[in-house]
Amino acid sequence: MKRSKRFEVLAARPVNQDGFVVDWPEVGLIAMNSPNDPVPSIKIMNGKVVELDGKQRDDFDFIDQFIADYAIDVNVAEKAMAMDDYAIAKMLVDVNVSRDEVVKVARGLTPAKLVAVFNTMNVVEMMMAVQKMRARKTPSNQCHVTNLQDNPVQIAADAAEAALRGFDEMETTVGVVRYAPFNALSLQVGGQVGRGGVLIQCALEEATELLLGMRGITAYAETISVYGTENVFVDGDDTPWSKGFLASAYASRGLKMRFTSGTGSEVQMGYAEGKSMLYLEIRCIMVTKGAGVQGLQNGSISCIGVPGAVPGGIRAVLAENLCTTMLDLEVASGNDQTFSHSDMRRTARLLMQMLPGTDFITSGYSATPNYDNMFAGSNVDAEDFDDFNIIQRDLMIDGGLRPVSEEEVVAVRNKAARALQAVFRELGFPAITDEEVEAATYAHGSKDMPPRNVVEDLKAAEEMMQRGITGIDIVKALAKNGFVDIAENVLNMLKQRISGDYLHTSAILDKDFNVVSAVNNCNDYAGPGTGYRLSKERWNEISNISRAIKPSDFDV
Amino acid sequence: MIQEKMIEELVRQVMQSMQSPAAASASCPAPAKECKLDPKKDYPLASKRPELLKSPTGKKLSDITLEKVLNGDVKAEDVRITPETLRMQAEIADGVGRVQFGNNLRRAAELTAIPDQRILEIYNALRPYRSSKQELLDIAEEMESKYGAKINAAFVREAAGVYERRGRLKAE
Repeated sequence: MKRSKRFEVLAARPVNQDGFVVDWPEVGLIAMNSPNDPVPSIKIMNGKVVELDGKQRDDFDFIDQFIADYAIDVNVAEKAMAMDDYAIAKMLVDVNVSRDEVVKVARGLTPAKLVAVFNTMNVVEMMMAVQKMRARKTPSNQCHVTNLQDNPVQIAADAAEAALRGFDEMETTVGVVRYAPFNALSLQVGGQVGRGGVLIQCALEEATELLLGMRGITAYAETISVYGTENVFVDGDDTPWSKGFLASAYASRGLKMRFTSGTGSEVQMGYAEGKSMLYLEIRCIMVTKGAGVQGLQNGSISCIGVPGAVPGGIRAVLAENLCTTMLDLEVASGNDQTFSHSDMRRTARLLMQMLPGTDFITSGYSATPNYDNMFAGSNVDAEDFDDFNIIQRDLMIDGGLRPVSEEEVVAVRNKAARALQAVFRELGFPAITDEEVEAATYAHGSKDMPPRNVVEDLKAAEEMMQRGITGIDIVKALAKNGFVDIAENVLNMLKQRISGDYLHTSAILDKDFNVVSAVNNCNDYAGPGTGYRLSKERWNEISNISRAIKPSDFDV
Repeated sequence: MIQEKMIEELVRQVMQSMQSPAAASASCPAPAKECKLDPKKDYPLASKRPELLKSPTGKKLSDITLEKVLNGDVKAEDVRITPETLRMQAEIADGVGRVQFGNNLRRAAELTAIPDQRILEIYNALRPYRSSKQELLDIAEEMESKYGAKINAAFVREAAGVYERRGRLKAE
C-alpha cells in the first residue's frame, strides 16, 4: 500500500511508541466495570459480615476476611449498601453535601459497591469529588531523589534544591542495595538544608526500611505494599496480618507510614482472577483502612503501563485516588513513574490529580533528570520544573512547587554538599572531596559527577549500620562542624517521634516544624469560596516568575 | 505519665468541686479517666499540651536541646515515643472518627515494650509459609505474658487461624 504522508507523520509521533491493548476481561486487563466483577452485596449476622459481594464467609479468602472484619462498619453497612449507586455518586459531587457525610456512608460500602459508584462518574466529576474528599485542606507534593551512581553528595544537593522548590516529602531508593544507609543519610542532611521540616524516606525491603526508621535516619515509610488478590499478596511475601503488624511496629517507634498499592499490579503478577483493576485496587484500599494505616500511595504507581494501555485506564487511576480519599485516608497519588512517550499524554494524566489537588499530587516527582531516577523514571522530572510552575501560574492552582532563582539553588546545593562532607569526615566515612562538592553544586545529574570509590563506600555504609549510627550521631556531627542550624533541624525531626503528632492522617511539617494534618487542617470544601484557596503570598510566589516582562523594563 | 496526669486532673477536679460543684460537673461529668482529649483543643499535643508529653526516659520535649545532645545528656533512646503518648494520639484519632487508625495506635502502644530485633523477627514470622500454627501461638503467648501485649496477641492468634484455613502455614 502506498503510504499516506499524514499517516507517516503521525506514526512518528511519540504517542505511537506507547503500547496499547484491547479490553481482555478474562485475565483482568480491564480498567473497571469488568463483566466478571462481583455484584455488590452484604449480609450481617450477629455483628459479623457473613456475605461480602456475593461470597459466603466460609469461602472468604484472607483479603475478604480482613476487609469484612476490619474495614466495614457493620453499624451502617446495610443502610449504605441499600443506597443507589447514582445517589452516592451525586453526594460526591454535590457541594452541599459535606465531606463528613460522604465519609460516613463510605464506611459501610463493599469493594464491589464502590466500583459500581465510580462506574457512574466521568473524570470531571471525579476531580470535583477529589477536591472535596482530600483529607488535608492544603495540597502538597512529594519528590524522588536518586541517581544512577547512588552518589551521596549529589543526593544531598538534589534534596536541598528539591526542598527549596517546595516538596514537603522526599523519597530515595538505591541502585545498589548496600548503599541504602548512605542514601538515607544524604537525603536527611540535604533535605534539612533546603528547608527544615521536610520528611524523608528510603524505599527498601520492608524489614530494612523499618530498621533505618528505628535508627532515626529516615522520618517515615511508604513502600509497604498491599495487593488485591490473595495469590499476589502471598507472592509479595506478606499477608494483611503481617502488614497490619508492620503498620503498628512503625507507629510504636513514632514513625509515620503509609501503604502502597495500585491498579495493574495483580495483572502484572499474573493473578487478577479476571476482575477489573479498579475492583482489585479497592480491596487494597480497604485492607489499608482495616489495618488502621493513616494513608496510602496509589494511582497505579509502578504498574502504570498496565492501566495506561487499556481503554479508560487513566480514569480508573483517578477513581482509585478518589476512593482512598473517600475512605478518609491520606493519598499520595502516583504520577511517579515514566508513563508515556507523549508529553501531551503525561500532562493529561498529571492534571487529574494536579487540578483538584491531593495530599501529595505526585508520590515521586523526579527531582533529578529522568535518567537518574531509580524508580524507573517519573511522570514528571527535573527538566519539567519550569513547565510545572507555569501550569500552576496559568491555571491559578497550587501544585506544591514554586519558582526559584539560580543563585539560591546554587547556594543551598553547595551548603548541602558541604554539610554532608562534614558528616562523612566526622563519622569516618570515605572522604567527600572539594571537587565533588563543587560538582554537586552545579550538577544537573550524575553524568556531571566525578566517580566515587564504590567498594569503599559500600564497606563504610555497612559499618554505619553495624556501628549503630543514629539520627543523634548525625546531629552531633553537623553541630561539631559548624552546621548548627542543620543540626537543629535534624534534631527537630527526631523530636517529632516523641509527640507522635505527625503520625496522623496526611501530616506534613511546615518550616517551623508545626504539624499540618487532616486533624488541624481539615478539608472543608463546600463550593466556590471555600476549602483551600491560594493566599495572596502564595499566589505572588507562583505568579511572579523572573522571565515575565514588566512595563518598567521598557524605556519608552 | 498518663497516670500522673490523671491524678493531677483528679486533684484539680476535686479542688474545683470544693469551690463550685456545678461548674466542675459541667466541664467534666465523668471520672478523669473518661476525659478524652479533644482534637480541636488539644492537637497538636507538642504545641497545645506539651505538659502531657515525655520520652520513655522521662525527659520533657523542652529537655531535648542541641546543647544536651552535644554534652551527652540526650541520647537516641530519648527520642522515642511512649505507650502513653500513643494512647493519647489514639484518643485524638477516635475524636476525628478514625477508629481503625486509633486501634492501630493502641496496638503500637503495646509494641513499644518489645525490642527492635524481636519486632523484626515477629514481622518475619507473620509472613506467609514462615511459621507453623504452634509457632504463631507461641509468639502470641510470648507477647501476652512477657510484654502484656494483649491486642497484638489476639491479632497473631487470629492470623494463625486464618493461615491454617487458607493453607499459608509453614509446610511441616
